[in-house]
Amino acid sequence: MIGWILLGIIVLAVLWTAAIYNGLIASRNDVQGSWKQIDVQLKRRHDLIPNLVSTVKGAMEFEQDTLEKVMNARARAVSAAGIPAKAEAENMLTQALGRLFAVVENYPQLKSNQNITQLQEELTTTENRISFARQLYNDLVANYRTKLQVFPNNIVSSIFNFKTEEYFAAEEAARTAPAVNLSLKGK
Amino acid sequence: MPLTFIDIERQKTWRIAAFFLVLIAIYLAAILFITAPLGIIGRASPRFWLGAVLVSLVAAGIHFWFSASEAVDSVRRTLDAQPPDPQDEVHRVFLNVIEEVHVVTGRKRTIQSAVIPSQSMNALAVADLRGNALIAITEGLLSRLSRPQVEAVVAHEAHHVLSGDCLETTIAASLFGTLSAALDRLNSLSDRRSSATAGAGLAWLLVKLGYLLNLFISREREYRADAAAVRMTRNPLALAEALHLLSRSWRGAGFIGSGLEMLCIVNPQATTLDETEGFVADLLSTHPPIRKRIGILLAMARVDIGDLDRRADRAEAEARTPAPGQQPLYHAMSPKQEWQGPFTVQELAALAWLSPLTWISTGGSSSADRAWKDPLLGPIFAARLASGNERIETGLTCPVCRQPLVTASYEGTQIAQCSFCAGSLVEMKKLPRIIARTGQDHLCTQRINALARTTLENNLSRRIYRAASRVQGTAIQRIPCPKCTHPMLRGFYSENYLVEVDRCSSCGVMWFDQDELEMLQCMIANRLEPAVAVPTVPPDGDAPGGVP
Repeated sequence: MIGWILLGIIVLAVLWTAAIYNGLIASRNDVQGSWKQIDVQLKRRHDLIPNLVSTVKGAMEFEQDTLEKVMNARARAVSAAGIPAKAEAENMLTQALGRLFAVVENYPQLKSNQNITQLQEELTTTENRISFARQLYNDLVANYRTKLQVFPNNIVSSIFNFKTEEYFAAEEAARTAPAVNLSLKGK
Repeated sequence: MPLTFIDIERQKTWRIAAFFLVLIAIYLAAILFITAPLGIIGRASPRFWLGAVLVSLVAAGIHFWFSASEAVDSVRRTLDAQPPDPQDEVHRVFLNVIEEVHVVTGRKRTIQSAVIPSQSMNALAVADLRGNALIAITEGLLSRLSRPQVEAVVAHEAHHVLSGDCLETTIAASLFGTLSAALDRLNSLSDRRSSATAGAGLAWLLVKLGYLLNLFISREREYRADAAAVRMTRNPLALAEALHLLSRSWRGAGFIGSGLEMLCIVNPQATTLDETEGFVADLLSTHPPIRKRIGILLAMARVDIGDLDRRADRAEAEARTPAPGQQPLYHAMSPKQEWQGPFTVQELAALAWLSPLTWISTGGSSSADRAWKDPLLGPIFAARLASGNERIETGLTCPVCRQPLVTASYEGTQIAQCSFCAGSLVEMKKLPRIIARTGQDHLCTQRINALARTTLENNLSRRIYRAASRVQGTAIQRIPCPKCTHPMLRGFYSENYLVEVDRCSSCGVMWFDQDELEMLQCMIANRLEPAVAVPTVPPDGDAPGGVP
């Protein structure tokens, strides 16, 4: 009789462990899948930048310095490995791009160029997608970390050696206070 | 309050299930009360009741399915919503923003997008049982919002879709809408039979209850969607600006039919009920007061609502009165060796014959000089050079002067233009968006306005002549359609806007001579219409309307 009870407890324990294990695997896969999303968007940005630079190059002879900084930041971002290094390199690239667009504002013939407005829109949407993908990734990482650390799960995770995932840190003041614009055709 | 879109997704399943259960219970009770007066209750056995419940469950299921499975398609058809055009600058932004929403939700759900060809300002979201979801924005709203504002509006609608609000609203609206219509008819039929009215009355009460239940949570939902939009875009001010803009504009009353108002971002009908608070208003109104919504958003951004009002007033006033004297005016010598003008810089840029060698003179000065020497005109030629490389021939020829038509960018969309006579060929489906994007400041110059007025007066008398000539059979000169080479139909753009255009309805294109497109835009923007009723020839019966 006692043997049966023991067997039942063991079976239950195994099933229970398996359930926790599967849950952990599922959320880890979610995290890795959403990391792929960020990667896709980062690659998209890296591909757009050479296009942009070659389009504005001709008109911006006196701004070679700014352009070079963008290209260097891009090269560093492409070659960066590991999540913290990547996050930092990407933030540098974002800043360099911000400076470039600030400079473009000073060139009316560039601002009216249709190619450039299109590229600018593409880069804006890519920036947004990166930040949204990062939002999703960080949410999922938080979800995964909680699952790893709560009570019964932490035993299972230490047995099967689950590792915690890193957050993708956002740059400081990524979205600063916006300016009010209420004209009918605010662009 | 869920923190992320993942939590919203998780929470919505049981909420929708509970909502459905309540709806089905109310629905069954309503059916029961309708059938009760037929006199079957008295002699019913338990087995009969079981059968009756089963049958009505099946009926309810079929009703649910048919009322809610086609909702997206039927809304799309009713409003004539078109998928956004990826070639178009403004639509491109909309498509990109939708894609961003997909990224933030981890592609759990595909949301379709559509543009409603209307000048009104509104946005709506629909979802149906087949899993289709649609976010539609009117052309008018899309062309007046900046990018962050479009993001905020789309995020608001996306929350409605993802949280299941849309599905609930769509189903409740279609289901109880039909039922209450049926009841109304029953009531009017059964006036004479007093036994039926009691049951039907109770059923009516229940139907209204189900409807009210839905309305009661719809105010709450709008606040939540606003909050979700802010959480996604991290920009409360953009949503506040967009709502503020909506509150001051035509939101599509009369165009967006009743039954759809619950799906919109703001109620198309501006009612006083919507703008009041309290229990009754909470119960009966579909949307919370806009000013309260804006107030909450502005509190997040620490901006005062009075400030927003004043800025909007000033912006509108500035848009109405173009500041004179700010820009230098030019006279230019045309190829026919005549001095023309005065032109602003933008107007000069639009002149097809302007070249770096054209003689121009500035404002008051009497001396003339070559155009390339003026520093202000440099950008015009630079822009022409830049856009010169990407001129794409459309493969069509100008119907007037036989030159090849080239693709030109006009108000953010592509049209075919003749570089010689400056006439343009516009696809009719693109006209609403061009009209919606009319920029007051640079387009409606004095010259275009004066031209439009003169054309209007000329054409008023011509219209009578035209009607007479139709009777006498005088031939009107027709030009061939550049696409199918059949003669195009010449006529006015509409009864109110008397610009002569040529259309080919089989190809869906319209030909505008030089300046005619601009004139049409300014006529619509400034409401230049025939002021008094003009006596027309009776057979047409086309009385010129007042205000559209």
